[in-house]
Amino acid sequence: MTCELMERPRAGVINPIFTCQPAGAQFVSIGIKDCIGIVHGGQGCVMFVRLIFSQHFKESFELASSSVHEDGAVFGACGRVEQAVDVLLMRYPHVKVVPIISTCSTEVIGDDIDGVVTKLNNGLLKEKYPGREVHLIPIHTPSFVGSMITGYDVAMRDIVAYFAKKTAPSGKLNVFTGWVNPGDVTAIKHLLAAMGIEATVLFEIEAFDAPMMPSGNHVAHGETTIADIEGTANAVGTMALSRYEGGKAAAYLEKEFGLPTIIGPTPIGIRNTDTFLAHLRTLTGKPIPETLVRERGVAIDALTDLTHMFFADKRVAIYGNPDLVIGLAEFCIDLEMQPALLLLGDDNTNYQKDPRIKALKENVDWDMEIVTNADFWELEDRVKNKGLKLDLILGHSKGRFISIDYNIPMVRVGFPTYDRAGMFRHPVVGYAGAIWLAEQMANALFADMEYKHVREWSLNMW
Amino acid sequence: MPYHLFKCSECIPERKEHAVIKGPGETLADALPLGYLNTIPGTISERGCAYCGAKHVIGTPMKDVIHISHGPVGCTYDTWQTKRYISDNDNFQIKYTFATDMKEKHIVFGAEKMLKQNIIEAFTAMPHIKHMTIYQTCASALIGDDINAVAQEVMEEMPDVDIFVCNSPGFGGPSQSGGHHKINIAWINQKVGTFEPKITSDYVINYVGEYNIQGDQVVMDDYFKRMGIQVLSTFTGNGGYDDLRAMHRAHLNVLECARSAEYICNELRKRYGTPRLDIDGFGFGPLGASLRKVALFFGIEDRAKQIIAEETARWKPELDWYAARLEGKKVCLWPGGSKLWHWAHVIHDEMKVDVVSVYTKFGHQGDMEKGIARCEEGALAIDDPNELEGLEAMDMVQPDIIFTGKRPGEVAKKVRVPYLNAHAYHNGPWKGWEGWVRFARDVYNAVYSPILELAKRDISKDEIPTDQGFVTRRMLSDVNLPEEVRNSTELRPYTGEFDNLACYKDKTYPLMEKRPAPGAAA
Amino acid sequence: MEALRKERVEQLVDYIMKKCLWQFHSRAWDRRNQNEGILTKTRQILCDEPVNLETPAERCYWVDAVLLAEAFKEKYAWLDGLPKEEIAAVMKGLHERMDFLTIDGSLNKELTDQHY
Repeated sequence: MTCELMERPRAGVINPIFTCQPAGAQFVSIGIKDCIGIVHGGQGCVMFVRLIFSQHFKESFELASSSVHEDGAVFGACGRVEQAVDVLLMRYPHVKVVPIISTCSTEVIGDDIDGVVTKLNNGLLKEKYPGREVHLIPIHTPSFVGSMITGYDVAMRDIVAYFAKKTAPSGKLNVFTGWVNPGDVTAIKHLLAAMGIEATVLFEIEAFDAPMMPSGNHVAHGETTIADIEGTANAVGTMALSRYEGGKAAAYLEKEFGLPTIIGPTPIGIRNTDTFLAHLRTLTGKPIPETLVRERGVAIDALTDLTHMFFADKRVAIYGNPDLVIGLAEFCIDLEMQPALLLLGDDNTNYQKDPRIKALKENVDWDMEIVTNADFWELEDRVKNKGLKLDLILGHSKGRFISIDYNIPMVRVGFPTYDRAGMFRHPVVGYAGAIWLAEQMANALFADMEYKHVREWSLNMW
Repeated sequence: MPYHLFKCSECIPERKEHAVIKGPGETLADALPLGYLNTIPGTISERGCAYCGAKHVIGTPMKDVIHISHGPVGCTYDTWQTKRYISDNDNFQIKYTFATDMKEKHIVFGAEKMLKQNIIEAFTAMPHIKHMTIYQTCASALIGDDINAVAQEVMEEMPDVDIFVCNSPGFGGPSQSGGHHKINIAWINQKVGTFEPKITSDYVINYVGEYNIQGDQVVMDDYFKRMGIQVLSTFTGNGGYDDLRAMHRAHLNVLECARSAEYICNELRKRYGTPRLDIDGFGFGPLGASLRKVALFFGIEDRAKQIIAEETARWKPELDWYAARLEGKKVCLWPGGSKLWHWAHVIHDEMKVDVVSVYTKFGHQGDMEKGIARCEEGALAIDDPNELEGLEAMDMVQPDIIFTGKRPGEVAKKVRVPYLNAHAYHNGPWKGWEGWVRFARDVYNAVYSPILELAKRDISKDEIPTDQGFVTRRMLSDVNLPEEVRNSTELRPYTGEFDNLACYKDKTYPLMEKRPAPGAAA
Repeated sequence: MEALRKERVEQLVDYIMKKCLWQFHSRAWDRRNQNEGILTKTRQILCDEPVNLETPAERCYWVDAVLLAEAFKEKYAWLDGLPKEEIAAVMKGLHERMDFLTIDGSLNKELTDQHY
């Protein structure tokens, strides 16, 4: 009865859980208003990331490529960035923010994107675009370092560091959500509003759930403004919901501007949401209102209907973004379930030091494994060849065939979730997220009982 | 003025030669868009890279192969599970993808050792798979790993496995098309001629440039089998690795997507003297003509004619039901490459829609020649379109529907133009007679979607009919139809199954007698 | 006569351009072979001349020619009863026109590439 932390024992990856750094930087880029990132590399590094965003959100997002071809790879491709910036600015007159996102190829050939930015600032922007507000921000995200998670973390830090400017105190709280869905942002903002807290939420991505309008001219895009990011330096403090996605930006502001800062835990489940509210109270001095006590009560009531009768001792495997996985595992434990396997898809050494993981190692009283640098084979091999018995899988769509082929019910959660409708619309955080998650899990188990004719009659009477 | 410069591209005037309006009386010698040139950076082009052209489009449909990319995980992850090329090998090629997971230390110190370890691990994890394709990526190309040498070493140590190496880094060419070329040539250089197949028929073909999207290959394979023809290999949808090593033994190469796979046909013709016959698997007329040509080559035309008669009788009334209701609808035919010409004329001839614009993301000028030759006068043809040009073009031509990729489809959605997925299809397969009706059905369902009708309503301004609880597609599509068409007893909408592939499983085919080739008969 | 022949050639060109693929192989020399092979055999069929089918390559040209000749006859009634010499002349005009449109007058810059 132990909880073991280990690394993927193989050199290679069989079915990756994460993509690489530039994707995370691109996710940050689309959250900012009047911003189009340029990915400096081959065209696939953009085209496929845009595709996966569109698979997940059923929306198209604007991201550009420097289109590095053979000549650029051989002789250096900084000129491609210069041209890309100019073409982009000419054709998108509203664009103010242009992150220049590096990739493996352009890092290997050693293109100096910082130098290019300096050159453009002193040349092109002054000469051709005088008076136009343009921010070129180099983001180093070589694909052979970290993962999409660190890509998000690094890009966000660099963008916050670029803009954050100390002026007058704003009285607002910085809230960094991490890599979440529009539904999560709505849920977070609801909790903040209930607490009466004015906040700068990075990033404002509710509009990723974009409408189809009679005017027919709508493009899905994030709504965080330059002023929002500049103002982060003037906040009363920072609450980062996610240690690994936005933690770096929060730490930057803490160090640079002395902002009171709390990083994590991600408010998944009742307990972590309670902690989140407690942290908000600490940072702002605002009390937790009666309305949230009631809202929490509704959630507790919903969970009570499910937990002992259906969830108790159910064995679950969870994979995806680290803060999400850990949060889900903690919530599952509160629901009397037994997380048997957690898969974290990159080699971040900080996972070992994560207090939440330490707590799991110390307290879990069933067999549990946490695999870092994991791939999907770490899950499938255990199920297929090593006798791992699971009742449920929680994770994103790339793992769908394990659920399908081994007949294990699965709840889609995280990014990307393209094989279920509208998952981005629902929160996993807050009390609302707790209800949504628990009921999704319950319904997945119920449908499975019915398909397999296993105790399906028990739902006659519930 | 045949060339067309978009307003949004006036600041990049070199774009002018990439778009043409097909003018009355004009020929291909008057105007042809430029093609397959380096992309203008920052345009928000829709192109992918040469790695994806090799691995994602052509390599991965091979069904019994470990597909491993030598590089960081992103290339593998991003191209994984974004296609609908199925197989009869339990979709192994869709379910499993492999990456060597190149990290910074490998960039610095080299990654050949780790590649070898990767290969062995992968074969160990998948003991039933004995073939592997290794795809180079930008990173492994730039650090100069000798993948061929590592593959050779492993093959010597593990005699029961065979490894193919595809050196097509993402930067290798203006678009994915560079990768199509590289993998074609690599396959014939490394693998064709290294396996001797079992020949089971007197008539043997390779079916080339067919990727089994939603089962297209299964449908076409059935027609060939019904004619007693052995499809020795399919390059590459539902294709077997060893079968494809034996391509040199076919009598004829039947080429579907000439954009992505003409190279191997050309080389097979040059090296082995196997003729190349280009066909269209889409549309009743072109498909029938294609089957007849293949059959004629072998002197068995009657067998093709029988299939054509049977299939036409079964499906024509259903196709015509849709054609009557789609007549005059305006289509933007905006695929990646070959659908541009496979569909341009036949959707007009058989579904009665008008192609008002064609484009190609990664095609060459030769593809544009075919597409422009086949589409309607006045159509706008665009090479390597970008986001703003696409929007401007839709504003110009006001299409009723667009056939394009998933993500550009989302762009069209916002301007209330329904899209069908030209690469992966909506509810395919779309090849074959039944498939063509399924396509027509999908077009009809999209164009006459009651939700689309509601999307155009502005509740703040427009009159809202309060006596309507619903609208059916027929209420929208049949409103102006002549009585005799609306109530025709001969025409009918699609009557096939949701899964129309089930009937091909375990199907058996009679043995057919040998006939002399037409040369001997004449 | 010349004008009429030209008009007929254009009709046949139009058919080929819309319905066929064989004229668009990717290299100039390849297109020349295709035009020569298929249009010659089409003429032979239309003029009831013997057709060489000895090699697989000849047979491959021939199958396209068979369908082309059939379509021409079905679509263009003027072919019916046209003297053989005139058919040959129209076909010669067609061949020249196709060579121009797909090769000599083509704007396709890849046609002269030495490799596939």
